[in-house]
Parts: sequence; C-alpha cells; structure tokens
Amino acid sequence: MSSWLDYTINGLIVGNVYALVAVGLALIFGVSRLINFAQGSIYLVGAYIGWVAVVQLHTPLPLTIIVVAVAAALVGLIIERFGLRPLQNSVRIAPLLATIGISFVLDQLVMLTFSPNPRALPSQLPDVRFQIGGGTIGPLDLLIAGVGITSALLLFVFLRYSKLGWAIRATAQDRDAAMQMGVDVNRVNQAVFGIAAALGGISGLLVGMYYNQIDTAMSLQATLKGVVAEVVGGAGNVPGAVIGSLLLGLVESYGVAVFGTSYRNLFAFLLLVVVLVLRPNGLFASARQAPPEPLTGTFIAPSRPVRIPRWALLIATAVFAILPLLPVSFYVLQTLINASLLGMLALSLTLVAGTIGQVSLGHAALLAIGAYTSALLSLTFSVPVGLAIIGGGLMSAALGTALISPSFRLRGHYVSIATLAIGEIVSLVILNWESVTRGPIGISGIPPLSLFGYELVSPISIYWFSFIAMVVLALLQGRLLGSHLGRSFRAIRDDDIAARAYGLSLNRYKSLAFIFGGFAAGVSGGIAAHLYSYINHETFNTQQSILALTVVILGGLGNVVGAIVGAVALVGLPEVFRIAAEYRILIYGIVLLLLVRFRPQGLLGTM
Amino acid sequence: MGTTMLSLRGLTRRFGGLTAVDAIDLDLAKGELISIIGPNGAGKTTLFNLVTGLDRPDAGTVRFEDQDITGFSPERLAAEGIARTFQLGRVFGNLSVMDNVLIGAHTRLRAVRPAVPVIGPLLELGLALLRPASVKAEEERLREDVKVILARFGERLLPRIDQPAYSLSYANRRRVEIARALALKPRLLLLDEPTAGMNPTETTEMQGLVAELKAEGLTILLIEHKLEMVMRLSDRVIVMDEGKKIAEGPGEQVRGDPKVIEAYLGHGLTTKQESAA
Amino acid sequence: MSNIDRRTLVKGSLAAMMAGAAFSRAAFAQSSEPILLGVSGPLTGPNAQYGTQWKQGFDLALDEIQAAGGINGRKLAYSFEDSQSDPRQSVAIAQKFVSDPRIVMELGDFSSPASMAASPIYQRGGLVQFGFTNSHPDFTKGGDFMWSTSVSQADEQPLLAAYAVKRLGLKKLAVLHLNTDWGRTSRDYFVKAAKEHGAEIAVTEGYIAEERDFRSTLVRVRDANPDGLILISYYSDGALIARQARQVGLKQVICAASSVYSPKFLELGGEAVEDVHVGTRYFPEDPRPEVQTFIAGFKKKYNGVEPDAFNAYAYDAMNMAAAVVKIGGTDRRAIRDAFTKVKDVSSVIFGKATFDVESRRVKGAMNAELVVRKGQFALWDGKPT
Repeated sequence: MSSWLDYTINGLIVGNVYALVAVGLALIFGVSRLINFAQGSIYLVGAYIGWVAVVQLHTPLPLTIIVVAVAAALVGLIIERFGLRPLQNSVRIAPLLATIGISFVLDQLVMLTFSPNPRALPSQLPDVRFQIGGGTIGPLDLLIAGVGITSALLLFVFLRYSKLGWAIRATAQDRDAAMQMGVDVNRVNQAVFGIAAALGGISGLLVGMYYNQIDTAMSLQATLKGVVAEVVGGAGNVPGAVIGSLLLGLVESYGVAVFGTSYRNLFAFLLLVVVLVLRPNGLFASARQAPPEPLTGTFIAPSRPVRIPRWALLIATAVFAILPLLPVSFYVLQTLINASLLGMLALSLTLVAGTIGQVSLGHAALLAIGAYTSALLSLTFSVPVGLAIIGGGLMSAALGTALISPSFRLRGHYVSIATLAIGEIVSLVILNWESVTRGPIGISGIPPLSLFGYELVSPISIYWFSFIAMVVLALLQGRLLGSHLGRSFRAIRDDDIAARAYGLSLNRYKSLAFIFGGFAAGVSGGIAAHLYSYINHETFNTQQSILALTVVILGGLGNVVGAIVGAVALVGLPEVFRIAAEYRILIYGIVLLLLVRFRPQGLLGTM
Repeated sequence: MGTTMLSLRGLTRRFGGLTAVDAIDLDLAKGELISIIGPNGAGKTTLFNLVTGLDRPDAGTVRFEDQDITGFSPERLAAEGIARTFQLGRVFGNLSVMDNVLIGAHTRLRAVRPAVPVIGPLLELGLALLRPASVKAEEERLREDVKVILARFGERLLPRIDQPAYSLSYANRRRVEIARALALKPRLLLLDEPTAGMNPTETTEMQGLVAELKAEGLTILLIEHKLEMVMRLSDRVIVMDEGKKIAEGPGEQVRGDPKVIEAYLGHGLTTKQESAA
Repeated sequence: MSNIDRRTLVKGSLAAMMAGAAFSRAAFAQSSEPILLGVSGPLTGPNAQYGTQWKQGFDLALDEIQAAGGINGRKLAYSFEDSQSDPRQSVAIAQKFVSDPRIVMELGDFSSPASMAASPIYQRGGLVQFGFTNSHPDFTKGGDFMWSTSVSQADEQPLLAAYAVKRLGLKKLAVLHLNTDWGRTSRDYFVKAAKEHGAEIAVTEGYIAEERDFRSTLVRVRDANPDGLILISYYSDGALIARQARQVGLKQVICAASSVYSPKFLELGGEAVEDVHVGTRYFPEDPRPEVQTFIAGFKKKYNGVEPDAFNAYAYDAMNMAAAVVKIGGTDRRAIRDAFTKVKDVSSVIFGKATFDVESRRVKGAMNAELVVRKGQFALWDGKPT
C-alpha cells in the first residue's frame, strides 16, 4: 500500500521534470501552432551554460539561473529571428522541419564544444532530504516543482493581464485578425520564443543538477517526453501541459510498478496514442472548436515538379544497372546498396508523407517489422529468402497500416506525433516481446540474400538485387501515381475536407497508401536483415526515420525520382565527407535548414 | 414543381453558447432553385455543412429524396449525388485542372472500384496498378466528360487544363470548383457564393451558367450575397439571421419584408449586399 | 581469377584515393608507409563518447609501439571511420576497408548491431574484424575472421557473482541491467552464477540506455527486499542509479560490473557511490607492470586524467593488434592465422592474453575487487561496508 504512495510521489516528481519542457513547448504551440523540436536542444544548451557558470565561474544559484535564462532566451530569439521568421509565409511543414534542423545544429555544436563525455553538474542547494512515504525528496525537487508551477502561473497571469499577453492570446486565436488589430505578430513571436527558451534553459540546468549529470544525448529524450506531455495536456494549453506532464509521470511510474522497468516508455507512448485518438485536442482542450479551415496548398509547397525526360531516366537506370561491370570499388557498390535500401524507404515515405500528406516520423518501424518478419520466416520456418522478404513487405503493409489506422483522423502535426509514438512503440515491443524477437539479444545468423537457391554474397549481386528491387518498386509507384489513386491521394493531401465532400474516404485511401508504402519499406527492411545477418531493436531507430524524411524533403514530396535522388545524395554525401567525420551531422543540419529556407519544394519539386 | 428532393426539419447546430443554425425547416423540390441570403454570420455556410455531412446537427433531420440522411458522412452523401462548392474556394492546389475535375467524378468510378466488401480496397489498388482495358476505358470516358464540362466555361479553363490549380486566377478557381461539382453528375447542387470575388462580367457569366444548369433541371441550393443574381435565378428565397429563418418566399416579396431590412440594417451591413463577403 | 585480381587492384587504388585523406594523426614512416589498421566506431551520434575514449587508448598504445621501434621497423597507424555505431554505415566502412589493400585488419565496431552487420563482409572479404568491445556471444560465431578480446560475460559475470555472494556475503539480490544485448547476456550469466553460489535473485530490472529516472524502479527493488543491488551498467547510468538509490533511502550494498570503472563514475555519482563495490579487471594500485605503464602513460599524455575501462580496452586492443601484425606481417590471412599463434601478450585486462582458438576469444580476465573509498577506487580490504 505504501508502495503505491511512493510510486505516486515518484511519478509526480518526474512529471515535474517533464513539465518544465512541456510548458515551453505549449507556449510556442499556442502562438505559432508549431511543435518546436528544438526545445530539447535549448534545454541542452541551458544545461551546459549552467555547467560553465557553476563549475568554471562558480556563480551562486540565483545568478546561475539568471545567466542561463538570459543566454537561453538569446538562443531562442536567434532561432526565432533567423530560423523561423523567414519561414512565416512558407508551407506549414517548413517550420517543423526547421526546428528539427536547428536541433541537429545546436546539439552538435554543444557536442563539439564540450565533447560527448557526460559531465557532472553539482547541485548548488543544500543536501537535505525530507522523508515522504518510503522515499525522500530534496530541495531540488521543490525548486523544480516551484519553477514549474510558478512559471505556469506567471504565464497565466501574464497572458491574461498584460498587454503583450493579450497580444499573444489574440495571435494564438487568430493570427490574421490579430494583425489587422495592429498586433505586431513578430514581436509576439519573439516574446514567446524568448520566454519559452528561457524556461527550456532553466529546466536543462535544474534537471542537470537533479541528476548531477549532463550529456548531449539528453536533448532528444527531453523533446520526446515534453512533446508527449504537451500533447496529452492539449497542445498550446499551458496549464494543460503541466497536468499532462504529471499524468505522464504517473503513468510511467505505475507502468513500472505493474509491469517492470523495461515497459516504462511503452506506457508513455501508448498514453500519447490513446489521447491522440480519443481526444486529439488533448485531455483539457476546450470542449469543441470548429476545425480551422485550411486554405488550399498550405501544407505542401506549391510547385511544378521538374520534369525529367524519359530517355534521361532510362539512361540513368542503364548506367546504374551496368555499374558493377565497370571498374568501381566494392565500397562504392556498398554505398549504393545502402542508397537503394534508403531509397525504398524513401519511396514509401514520399508516398505517405508527400503524396497523401501524412508526415510520418516513425517510418523506421516499418523497416523493423519487415526485417524481423523476413528474418524469422527464413530462420524459423526455412522460407526461401526471396519469399521471406516479400513476406516481410506484406507484414509491414498489414501491420503498419493496422497500427497507424487509428490516427487516420488526425491532421497536420498530430499525424507526425502519432507516427513518432507508434515508431517508438514498435521498437519497445520488439525489445520486450522476447519469445518472438529475442529481445535485446537480437536475431543473429540470418541467412544471406539468396534467389532460387543461389546465395548472393558478392557486393555485385547484392547491388543488383537491391537495385532491381528499388527500380521495380519505383516503377510500380509511378504507375500508382498515374492512376486515379494518385490523384485521389494528392487531393486528400491538398484538402481532405473537399476530398471527403467528393466521396473520397480518408480511411480507405490512407490505408491503401500505407499498404503500398508499408510494402516498400518492409522489403527494404527485409533485404537489410539478410544483408546484416544480425538485427536487434536498435538496428532501425528514430534517426533512420528522420533521415528518410530529410531524403523525401530533399527530393521533393511525393516525387518518386526525387526520393531516389535524395537517397543517393544523403547516403553518398556523408561518405564523401568522411574526412569531416565529427562535423557531418552539423553539416547535415545546416543543409536541412538551407533547404527548408530556400527550396522547400525539394530538388525535383513536389508532385 | 415535382417531388421533394431535400427536406430539413428543425435543423439545429450550437457552438458553445451560440446557436449557429436554429431550427431551420426547408423543402426543396426537384428542379427548384432556392437561394439563402442573410448577413455574414447568419449560419448559411453552417447549414450547408450540416446538409453535406461536414458537420453534425445537434437536433433536427435532413431527408434527401426518400431517406433520412442526418449524420451521414460526406463521402456517402457524395455517393448519393449531393455536390457542393465552398465559400472560400477549395480546389486542390497542386492538382491540374483536369485532375481537380476528375476528383469530382470519383463517385462515378465503377470499373476500378468494384463493390466487393472487405477486399474491395485491395482490388482497387490492384486494378489501379494493373489497369485492365475496362479501367482504362472508364478513365478515358471520364476525361472526355471533363472536357465537355470545362467547355461550358468557354475558353476560361480548357487552355489551362494541365496547369496546377494554384496557378489559376481566383475566378478560375471558383470555376474549377463548379466544374468539379458538375463532374459528380449531382442530383442536388449546393453553391456557396459562387461569384465571390468576381468582377461584374465574370458574375454575369456565372449567373448565365447557373441559369443554364437550372434550365437543365438541376436542383440547386444557392448561397449568394449579390441580390440581383438571387432575384433573377431563384424560385424562392430564404433569409437567415442569427441562425434563424426570418423570411421565405419569392424574391420580390422577401425583398420588401421589413424583418429582412431590419436584419441587414441592424447589422449595419446594407452596403455589403452588393459587394463580396 | 586473373580478371578478379585486376579488378581488385583497380578497386583498391580507387579506394586508396578516396581514403587517402582520412589518415590518423599517427606519424609517417621514415622510409616506408605505415602499416594501416582500419577502425570502425562512433565519433558522432549517441555513442560518440566511446569512440573518443578509444582514440585515447589507441594513441597511447601507438606512442609506445612507435617508441619501441614500431613493427619490424615500420610504423603502425590507424584510419578511424565514424560509423555512429549504425549498421548501415558500418557495412559501408567494412566494404571500404576490405577493398583498401593498405588495411591489414579492422578494429571495432562499438555496438553489436553495427559490428555483426559488418561481419559477413569482413568474413567474405578475408579481413580480420577485431571486435574488441563486442561481448555478444554470437559475435565470434560470424566466422574465422572474427576475433575479440572483449571479456566474455561468461567469464566476467561469475567473478562478479563470486564477489557479491561469496566475498560480500549477499544472499538476496536485485539485478539492474542495461537492456541491451550486452546487459541482457551479462544478466543471464550473473543470475546463473549467483544461484550456483546459493544466492536468491529477488528481482531483475532492465532499463534502456536513455533512462534517467530510476525512482520507481527502485521502489520495486525495495519491495523485493534484497540485501544487495547488482548494477550491470555503464558508468553514467550506474552513477544515476546509485545516487537515486541513496536518495530514496536504499542502504543496501551496491556491487557493480566492471563497465562502471571510470573516474566519471566517481564524478557523476559523488557521495552516493561511496562504498560501491566494483569487480574490475585492473585497478590503479595494481602492481602489474602493464597496468602501471598504462596508467602512468595515460595520465602523462592526457593531463593527469585517469583512464577508464574503455580506454583500457582500446589500449589493449592496439597492443594486441601490434603483436598479431608482428607475427602475421601484412598479409590478411597470415594475420588471421597469427591470432592463433600469439601467446601471452601483455594486457591490462588479461595480464597475459592468449586466444582460445575455439571461441576466438581470450579467457582468464584478471580480477580485482574494488570498492569506492573516500571518492577513490581502492582494493577492497575485506571489511564489510
């Protein structure tokens, strides 16, 4: 019995920690309708600035907090001014991608400056503990709770009673109307980013002190948990974010209590999916608001795709087909094999994110489903590898579509959040479902690729195998886009309400897109499994999903040729830039930012 | 007039404390054209949303021909033959004019959308990829249809048939919307301010088109601010204010109704009558 | 055959051109080119810190090797390719190394998914993959070109179990482990050995690497009422668990696997790791000359910083590579065969390392039973804590 009290207290304590990030996210979402994926990076920056202040400059705590708040606010202002403001009139997806790019850049800069080694960030508070239940809490717990609640209260008062607060609320409700009323929306955005960043920085500092440990990996985790808490509480709702955070902490804690530690995040993400599906506006969202009328073409950059003449495509295909006969190194071939595998994933993602507009951030899960299915079919049931890979594709199509289907009624950024969560859930299920997936030990000894009984082990034959698979899938997808389904998918992407009014069932067509896309991704995962011979739950991670999304943006949303060009570019360029090893992710983030800023429709244009 | 196509009884929709549509009754006979007018915020578009399934009423019923269609999904209503245009103009920006209008014909696709339960969608995917002769022929037929429909707009759209909709002028986008609605071969057409943002010449052209459609026997529900057009086209006019129906009858009669004048004057919007929203 | 030879040659020169700029900082040879090892490991991404630690260990070992005259007069050098510990990149790197004739053997990768994905390529390409941190039991089963000096968990965990159960007298254990292939394998060996020694396993809890908060896990641990906590952790998560265990009032004996052995563990854990027991392979006051040389050299080279376990693994691995190349020369197959011939290579971890040809691993890791006293690792004096 007393244990339940402890679990409750622990849940609230960790919820407290999440709240600090979630409040900043909620504030930004409230005004900009933007999920700021860079919030965790600001939190990271805050933690390291705090480290410099405490360890190098020996500042006292109040001064440390002020230093961190001011420095982080400055970072926030810079992000707003140079990263996001230029995108104001851009497509809705642009700022989201920009925040992802900014987070890469910030994380990497911190890593390059401070090295990836974790550091101790000693607490500057006296170490007294108060007994509560079976455990204890310290002054830092109280400070974190204090900062969380105070900032939420202050924000509430500020938003309600100050002039700038009024402007912020007006802007949140109706940007255009607010502008007409003379609200300086840029100033509002600045204020919001400054406040949110200051909060983010302070939370990084406090959490770093709380665990006496900071490292560069903390950024993504903070963002993930913050986003979950914020969405659960109702995106844009500041008090809701605090309650959502506490709820998330409790659910995790009780999850650990009942099922064990390894299920913890599973419950966090399940909570998110359940809330998204049942109450997409969050638990505490105002009862029912009329859906905002999306103007046409606001989600996807309007563009004319670059038309590549058929003969040029034929020549390019022919060149790549005979490449192994030319004197190129196996290393180049292996790189192109990787590009084909990523290309197939990108084909899948460009269909669901580009053609039908469901921007998935969890696409690596489809790879994992395909890979595990194919590996287990061939290992356990001795299915020939060629068939097993197709089986992987089919399983990915079926299971992937089934998992995502509850989210079909979501729109815009919510789809991304839901797919992110589903991706994490798949990975955690793989980790925990040991009887089938062998858990963290993974599956080893997966037979190599083979076709009609012949093992394909030389890079040349593997290259041909994956290249042909990719070309076939690309041709099929091209054919799909040319059919009535192609235009139906694109119509749903451009305006789902008008599409429904003309008889297009969203569930039906989103399912078909995910079935087709799931197959392509599953085949890619299946081939990868046989290529690697060993997979575990870490093989197909979130980084893959983000990489695939960048490929798709680079190539042009929905653009089949673009997906392949993008895959070759994003696999090839890092190989070329191997010399700049430590700087690669930094360069990658900057490229993403420049792309979003200057060519949001991608290299070959949106289809 | 003949049989009743559309019949609304006590249709009501509330948003929080505001009743956007308040117990509206309406009967629309086959081949009839009824206009709904009223000041901004009177609930006209909400009424359209309720009829076309984009919104659910809190009370009341909608009947279309012989069946109660209250709460039907928009896609089902489209299949029943109800087509609409949108107040703010909702073309599919990245689709060509041809594809936009072909989407209008979506419910008429038969060969590629076999009515088989459960595996129907998978068959549709397979047929779209394989494209047997029947599917190709159907697609060709619809494309010819689209060209015929576009020809109704003279040289406005035909030369731009392969251009993406986002590149069109505002007026042309409205035309594409109407063409898309016509491609559905609707039995009931709901037009939400088809002339909004059009200049007098374009308005006259649009008025001519609507008159043609009416003459062809199409049943039409029209929201329109331009009273002159309303007077010329409508068999009956319904005036809404604050969600309620405040007047109904032939154009001239409604025009002189003191309640109507009061409604417009009361909102200080008399000048709006002749201008776009 | 001749055709293949020509092709390989062409490929080799192309790859050499590509790899040309990616040399390590190792100095140039006086007259001949240095003998080149390929390293595939993380320099960016979530495991970047371990790649950095490798470099420190490698560079120290190389300094000593060059100072002792190199390999038969030639210098030894390595080319470090950043894989981010991502299998997609490690396979490309594998192909790059295999087709670069200057590379005589490969070291790495860090994680099992990255290493084992590349194994088929190394095996088919006939290049030794020396996965010196790959403890996955299946790693060396990838083929006769896969060798590892990673302490087999089948060896290490029974030592830890003996320390905890027989020496410290713990009877009822809670095991917290990193939920990776390494942590999971380790847990299974530990549990088996501890049971053989007569201890009861009250609860086992696996956590993911990104986990920061262990309070609720520790309530589970408390409710199981153990008399000792076993941490199969790395230093950062180990320190977090120790801190939070003390904060929530758990006063049981904590006994941790050698992977927490790092000055960082003390720094991050602070007072909370006082009296934590650690079974390690070496310790600073270890009188063995290889240990003293390593620690003194490391502190000298890196401004007085204490080395940790990953530094030691890398240092040992480079020394082992040198010993193997000394026997095998620069022929890749001869190098593989040399692994069966090297005997008693001096090693921080093993004392004298000799491969078991059957398992392609080294058996008989050294054992030191340490405890944290006054913020330092010290040899356990046998006193209860």
